Amino acid sequence: MKKTRPMLRWAGFMVVCAIIAFYGVQAWGEKGLTATPGRPDQITINTLADFDRLEMPPVTYFHDKHTDALAKENKGCDTCHYVEDNAFSFAYLRRRDTRPEEIKNIYHSSCIGCHNDMIAAGKQSGPQDGFCRSCHNAEPPVNLARLDAGMDKVLHFRHLDSKNIAPAGKDMNNCSACHHQFDEAGQRLVYVKGQENSCRYCHLDQAQDGAISLQQASHQQCLNCHLTLARKGVDKPMPLSCRECHGAAAQMELAKKNKGIVAGLKGQEIPRLQRGQPDATLVMYNPQKAPGKSDKLVTMPPVPFNHAAHEKYNDSCRVCHHAAMDSCSSCHTLGGATEGGFVTFEQAMHRRTSQQSCIGCHAATQQARADCAGCHNSISQAQTPDLASCQQCHTPITGVVSSPQQKAAMAASLLENRRAAGTFPMNDIPDKVVIKGLSDQYKPVEMKHRKHVLDLMKGMENSHLAAHFHADPGTMCQGCHHNSPASKTPPACVSCHPKTQGVAAGAMEPSRPGLQAAYHGQCMSCHRDMGVKPAATSCNECHQPKQQKAALVR
Amino acid sequence: MLRRTFLGLLGAASVGAVMGKTVQAAGLKHFQGHTGSNGVLFDATRCIGCRSCEAACNQVNGLPAPAQPFNDLSVLDLKRRTNAAAYTVVNRYDNLPGVAGPIFRKNQCQHCLEPACASACFVAAFAKTPQGAVTYDPSVCVGCRYCMIACPFEIPAYEYNEPLTPRVMKCTMCYPQIMSGRLTVPGCVGACPTEALVYGQRTDLIRIARERFAAFPNRYLNHIYGEREMGGTNWLYISGVPFRHIGLREDLGVTPAPEFTSGALAAVPIIAVVWPVLLTGIYAVQNRKEKIAAEEKKQAVAEALAKAQAAAKAELDKALTKAETDKKSAIEREVKKALEEAAKAQTEAEGKTEEGE
Repeated sequence: MKKTRPMLRWAGFMVVCAIIAFYGVQAWGEKGLTATPGRPDQITINTLADFDRLEMPPVTYFHDKHTDALAKENKGCDTCHYVEDNAFSFAYLRRRDTRPEEIKNIYHSSCIGCHNDMIAAGKQSGPQDGFCRSCHNAEPPVNLARLDAGMDKVLHFRHLDSKNIAPAGKDMNNCSACHHQFDEAGQRLVYVKGQENSCRYCHLDQAQDGAISLQQASHQQCLNCHLTLARKGVDKPMPLSCRECHGAAAQMELAKKNKGIVAGLKGQEIPRLQRGQPDATLVMYNPQKAPGKSDKLVTMPPVPFNHAAHEKYNDSCRVCHHAAMDSCSSCHTLGGATEGGFVTFEQAMHRRTSQQSCIGCHAATQQARADCAGCHNSISQAQTPDLASCQQCHTPITGVVSSPQQKAAMAASLLENRRAAGTFPMNDIPDKVVIKGLSDQYKPVEMKHRKHVLDLMKGMENSHLAAHFHADPGTMCQGCHHNSPASKTPPACVSCHPKTQGVAAGAMEPSRPGLQAAYHGQCMSCHRDMGVKPAATSCNECHQPKQQKAALVR
Repeated sequence: MLRRTFLGLLGAASVGAVMGKTVQAAGLKHFQGHTGSNGVLFDATRCIGCRSCEAACNQVNGLPAPAQPFNDLSVLDLKRRTNAAAYTVVNRYDNLPGVAGPIFRKNQCQHCLEPACASACFVAAFAKTPQGAVTYDPSVCVGCRYCMIACPFEIPAYEYNEPLTPRVMKCTMCYPQIMSGRLTVPGCVGACPTEALVYGQRTDLIRIARERFAAFPNRYLNHIYGEREMGGTNWLYISGVPFRHIGLREDLGVTPAPEFTSGALAAVPIIAVVWPVLLTGIYAVQNRKEKIAAEEKKQAVAEALAKAQAAAKAELDKALTKAETDKKSAIEREVKKALEEAAKAQTEAEGKTEEGE
């Protein structure tokens, strides 16, 4: 007995250790998992990393916290940032990065110096000398919750419309205040009317080819302009702090405000931007551009494209003109080229997975709009489109069109001839369809067929996209009556869908659902995707119980 | 036996055993299922959680009626497992990231191509039929429930409430019903109103799954669960959400369960047959060596003994001879002495007589 006791004691000790370790690890893990509320103003100061390996972890710094604290002291941005040519240098207390020791000194003496002064004055302040790890913290105390800020169409319009923004020169409009390009000859930034581009074409995520990064560019240009206007006493809501641009609350506020502004505009529409773009054009591969073969190159007939209408649908030019404000074919050549990332002209227009291609964007719209999703989510993407589908866009033309004016005129006339969405005469559409497949268990389903047609047609009223593609009377019907030629009298479902349930046809047979599954799949997925009643999960709204004990309900 | 010798022999024996295992493992082939075997494809994007499959399963297998009827969908509020009274259960998975509504998943025996339950069963109560189903024979079952522990999907259940003839209960893919012609497809498949379940040859099911991926690339994850998992199963799953979100383990790997134990089990015959022979041989050799050594020793001892005896005898003889010689000379000497004394006495007597006369 005496011998076993130390063993028991040790065993007990080990168990206790194991329990502590287990719960300790769990508690530690949970601490890491609990989401701390994020801040948009978190800046990581690691300037010295550009020079050498860091001796200490980078500093996590909360910018708005400091701005707010200084504002209480009636101190401004110039406390920490030098002003040069009416613009702030966004580096801390220096104009440019010189030597690492110098930069380190600036931070240490000025940050800690200010903290010391504040505390000496009996005020609350940040870490002082010796509290190295309070600033150099490897793990930031809160998450970074900085949203990307940027211009959308409405915000752009508000800037364009503003009386407070000073144009760059005489007889210039507001565009000149921001849009610029680099003049190689004069080695300076100049504004060229009619060549305004997106900032992001030159200012990329990282500084490149002499252009500063997008972050630097937007702070230098946007924030400095806002600060200057604020100093001048312009009483307009302008974001000045981190959270006012990058915070979630501020962005929601902005979206709400922008919506109100659009509602107050004439025609509730943002005026069109004027950059010399055509109202309509023909999308075609210009034979002259094909190397070696001047005019004998035969391509698909051109596609009339309503440029003006697409400007309305999208938030910025960048949605389509993703890399430059040029014609698509200048990068996307017929055979593919380096500058177009070897994406051919055909693929640039048709690639379904790309948001910049015609079909990609149209397909995304079909999924995003509930009115479209009901039918279009159930249409297989594996099928090669038929000829009729190509002809929806590609329109044969006669005569020579080469100049932009000719193209625009031809496109406009073709677009004018486009038809609205249509279907068969009301009398030809059955009012009700009775489905008796499960009538042994439930009452037959009375499907209000004509109402379905009318509702779907109504969903297309406000969409040019839908109107154009559903102009043929049978097209809309094919949402349900699929895989057979469009017709006023489509074949019954049972013509293709067998009554056997759940049987995988052999390898040589096409795999298609049985009749019951076809009905359920079609009706329920459409009701689900369109968000219409009856809900896809309420069985009894379609299948009214016949009697108390149905076969499957025990 | 010397310690070193013993360790050397042990090493040799171990090498022999390991060699045997390696050969066995290399001999196993990758089994891709019986040709033409049937399975079921479950499509999580189609399942609406109506529990028709559960009801049909209960009916065709003659299982006891549940406490709550099958049209009571409130049972889906809790995650359920298969049990002795339910070969299949549907579970609802709510609040999945990136999904608007709930996702449902039917659970039942996956009918592995190489079932773990069958490999764990030492009375071979489980069988993988060429038709695809994993079946169970209660007449040989001893109730050890190793199958329940072996199954990575936690499917086999036990009739704990059956005191005399408890059975392991699990989905049979309606093998008896289909073989007898009572059903053409498993009960659950026939009852599914949305064809979330499709019954057919496993190869066809894989083709159908791939066709669906191609037709609706945004709807599905490009993976067929069960095509490779645990070496492949006859019940297959496709889904629009990661499989771990609908209660399917993603950590199982692609190795069939029997392969984990085949190496160790293949070593059993090696040990059972080779070791006795080997060890007996070693024992015999060692024994013989010892015997020879003992004999040699005995001989040497005998020789030495003989030699010593001879030497001793020689010594004795010598001593005896010497003693004899000594004795003889002593006798002679004594005789001579006696004679001399007698002669002297005679001379003295003659003198006396002369004197006396």
